[in-house]
Amino acid sequence: MLTRKDFLLGTAAAAGALAAPAVRAQAAVTLDVLHAYPSFARFFTPVAEEFMKANPGIRVSFRQILPNYDELHQALLRGALTNQLPDVAFSGFNRLPELARTLSARNQILALDTLIAGEGASWAAENFSPRMLALGKVDGRQYGMPFNASSPIAYYNPELVARAGGDPDRFPDSWEGVIALGAAIKRAVPQAMGVSYYINSFDSDWLWQALVQQGGGRMLSADGKSVAFGGEAGLAAVRLARRFVTECGMQLIGADQNRQQFATGGTGIIFDSPARLAVITNLVGGRFPLRTAPFPITDKVNGGVPTGGNAAVIMASDPAKRRAAWEYVKFSAGPLAQKIAVEMTGYLPVNLKALAPEFLGRFYEQNPNARSAALQMDRSLPWEDYGANGPRIHRVQQEILTAIMRGDLTPEAGLARMVRETEALMRTA
Amino acid sequence: MAFAAVFLPRAARSASPDRRLALAGAAFAAPAALLLLTILLAPLVVLLLLSLTDYRLGAVAVRWVGLANYAEMFSDPVFRRAIRNTFLYVAFVLPAGVFGALAVAALVHARTRTRSVYEVIYFLPVTSTLVAMATVWQFLLHPTLGPVTPLLASLGFGRLDLLNDPDLALVTLAVIGVWQMLGFNMVLFLAGLSAIPRDLYEAAALDGAAGAIDRFLRVTWPMLGPTTMFVTITTTISAFKVFDTVVVLTRGGPLGATDTLLYVLYLEGFHYFRTGYAAAMTVIVLAFLCALSLLQARLIERRVHYA
Amino acid sequence: MRWRALLAWALSHLMLATGAVLMLAPFVWMLLTSIRPAEEVFGAVFNPIPSRFAGVENYAQALFASNVPRAMVNGAVVCLGILAVQLATALPAAYALARLPFPGRGMLFGLVLFGLTIPIQVPALPLYLALAETGLLDTFFALMFPFFLTVFGLFLFRQFFRTYPEEILQAARLDGMGEFEIVWRLAVPAALPAIGAFSVFSVVAHWNDLYWPLIVVTSTERATPPLGILAFRDAETGGNYGALMAGATLITAPLVVAFLVARRGFVRGLTMTGLK
Repeated sequence: MLTRKDFLLGTAAAAGALAAPAVRAQAAVTLDVLHAYPSFARFFTPVAEEFMKANPGIRVSFRQILPNYDELHQALLRGALTNQLPDVAFSGFNRLPELARTLSARNQILALDTLIAGEGASWAAENFSPRMLALGKVDGRQYGMPFNASSPIAYYNPELVARAGGDPDRFPDSWEGVIALGAAIKRAVPQAMGVSYYINSFDSDWLWQALVQQGGGRMLSADGKSVAFGGEAGLAAVRLARRFVTECGMQLIGADQNRQQFATGGTGIIFDSPARLAVITNLVGGRFPLRTAPFPITDKVNGGVPTGGNAAVIMASDPAKRRAAWEYVKFSAGPLAQKIAVEMTGYLPVNLKALAPEFLGRFYEQNPNARSAALQMDRSLPWEDYGANGPRIHRVQQEILTAIMRGDLTPEAGLARMVRETEALMRTA
Repeated sequence: MAFAAVFLPRAARSASPDRRLALAGAAFAAPAALLLLTILLAPLVVLLLLSLTDYRLGAVAVRWVGLANYAEMFSDPVFRRAIRNTFLYVAFVLPAGVFGALAVAALVHARTRTRSVYEVIYFLPVTSTLVAMATVWQFLLHPTLGPVTPLLASLGFGRLDLLNDPDLALVTLAVIGVWQMLGFNMVLFLAGLSAIPRDLYEAAALDGAAGAIDRFLRVTWPMLGPTTMFVTITTTISAFKVFDTVVVLTRGGPLGATDTLLYVLYLEGFHYFRTGYAAAMTVIVLAFLCALSLLQARLIERRVHYA
Repeated sequence: MRWRALLAWALSHLMLATGAVLMLAPFVWMLLTSIRPAEEVFGAVFNPIPSRFAGVENYAQALFASNVPRAMVNGAVVCLGILAVQLATALPAAYALARLPFPGRGMLFGLVLFGLTIPIQVPALPLYLALAETGLLDTFFALMFPFFLTVFGLFLFRQFFRTYPEEILQAARLDGMGEFEIVWRLAVPAALPAIGAFSVFSVVAHWNDLYWPLIVVTSTERATPPLGILAFRDAETGGNYGALMAGATLITAPLVVAFLVARRGFVRGLTMTGLK
């Protein structure tokens, strides 16, 4: 039942919209937003609050948070069939290709290319490194806008480095350098591990992908349908893995045990997520002045590091909501939102402008160990996804890697087996 | 009707007493029966059906695949080693858990003043939260930071990495399993020991049984027969279900040396979300458990006959 | 002859004491670490006694800066919720199975016996799917629902009610008592020892359970004690092992203390699991 007042208001709004078709005029658009990991609410909420402060006409409302990227992905695929999609969702990078392909075939996802072009010719280049932006691209189109990103970094014990005759201020930027330093640490302190690169017990295949990608290799072919790590880069990676054991004295122990041993000064160098910085700093306590460094890259042209995290995708179909959603997505990838998220997580910022002093600049000055992650922004490569059988494939690969590192399998035989078993599992998915 | 039979005083009812009791019985049993139906029976039917499909959680399409899941299972090296590891685990835990507990119970039973102290100490692990204690074990067993490795080295065992050596990890989990259940079995044996009449020992002494070992073999062991059977079966079933220590300490590794049935089932069903395949695996696990329980029922029946 | 008895006495104490040390070692280590300062947590092999008492900061972190207290509250809620429904449904049903002739009684009891062999892992998959479909994952209901049914309780209480004197029941009926009144005013009070023992069994089982919570719970808000300690251990959320051990102590303490206080009842309650 329309009252006279409603009618007047409606007319006024319509007139206003006609007169000034800007976002501001759209009275109270509510965006329905979905993200994964309940603990992420600690930065999603303040970012949304800042956004609503800057855009009073738009309200952000979060759906029930899903436990992880896989369940979010399943929920979106189901939502597509029943037309229950949220307006904006933050999809895990590794799930984005499948999501974009499925939804674009049904016309339920918005490609952002024209919106980005609409921001002006230089906007994209001023805000994002090409590698970072590429994380949101699927089949040449920009479906996702990166929000959270993280890639592995090195943590090292400068006291052990110094005892081995290395320079704690200049961490090696090549893997030959890392191996040499690790071997020197092992010689100087025989009961210590020189290097721990614990792909034998890490809880995902992230570190293993990093070892392949830094040498210019990829896990999968461009279409994502066949295995691509069986070549030179893959072989170099498994050889490195074995050398950590034979030359740097790495012991094959559990993930927690590895962090504990590093924290007590029993390991020279470990590789881990930048998100663990606070935890590892805490574990180390005052035992030694913990340092971090970017992940060494052998192939400076094609090499990179796998980037975990998520990208915002727009699924709204209503034009007003689409405009509002773009404002929100843009804000999330902007310097202020990045400052909020990065300071809380240790992730790397996706936005170049976030490095300015008024955003993260001062934070990095006070926390130099946090900066290593940010230095890897333009080395970001996708964290590649094997599809539905991914977790099983990781478990099989981890076992073969352990066998290679133990010396039960030669690097060549192990790599061949890994390729064979991965392909078999991809076929049955 | 049922409501009236149960809640109204007798004078207000007119049905025959038998009928009234039957109605009350049905009303009392109804909630539990409903739970039985929804929590046990319906899931079992669904499970059997799922095991014949290729369903994956969240999948849009499902196909009937007949017995393909079962066929895959028996050629799946992970499932096969899970069976092997589970039986190996049982084979480690069973003798240590039964005979160890019997030895402790016999020793504790003979004590008078200190008996309750030992009882409390040996029973303590049973009451503890295994997950919390497993994090303590992880700590104790750290090859370079924990106290166990240097202790064993000083006893001449060399530097052992008890959780990360594929040849040792399963035994280590078994030792932790025994640690947890020993006190429980001890209490069962203590109850069995207390039930042996003293005059049997006197009679045995008259028959010429001299010394503790002789007494044990002639009186204690035969009289404990039923208890031992019972402890053996319950230990087998609980060892068969090993899960917590695997999740917390080894996650099936290293090199799959600690993949056990329930852990692999958990991975397939709730980590890989291969629902159909996991359902087939569950059916096999259920078959094992039913076989064990039938054995248990048989033995208890026999115990009743001979007692 | 006297020296032989003495030797046997010494030998038996030696064996028992050695075993006792092995049994207690993890507890002692846990307690010592929980009062150890962070910088001494590792490398404490050769000086097990902490150089300074850091129990206050470790327990403060476990109590005020971790999810452990919430996990314990959740554990209490879940255990008591499960127990309440179990008793409310199993007691009258067990009484009916024992004393009231109703159609289907034999079949129901047969199903109860069958159910005794089935652990949670068997119906877990379909129950998970049903909870996922109805959007009930990660709720208290999801944590409790599968355990509302207790075939073990049904079996135990039925055995107990079978021994209840028939004359008293007849007299009560002649006095005009309804069956509902008989169950809750005569039979249940008489069954209190069995109820107590069953409660111990139920609470211990669900306080410590890992399998089901691991499957249905994803948020820290719903974590049960084992999940609380796992999350605390996960290096993403905390790095202080002294505090971790303080948390482990807190989570282990309620049951251990209950055991020390009510030893006989506790052991009786738990040994009934042997029947299962």
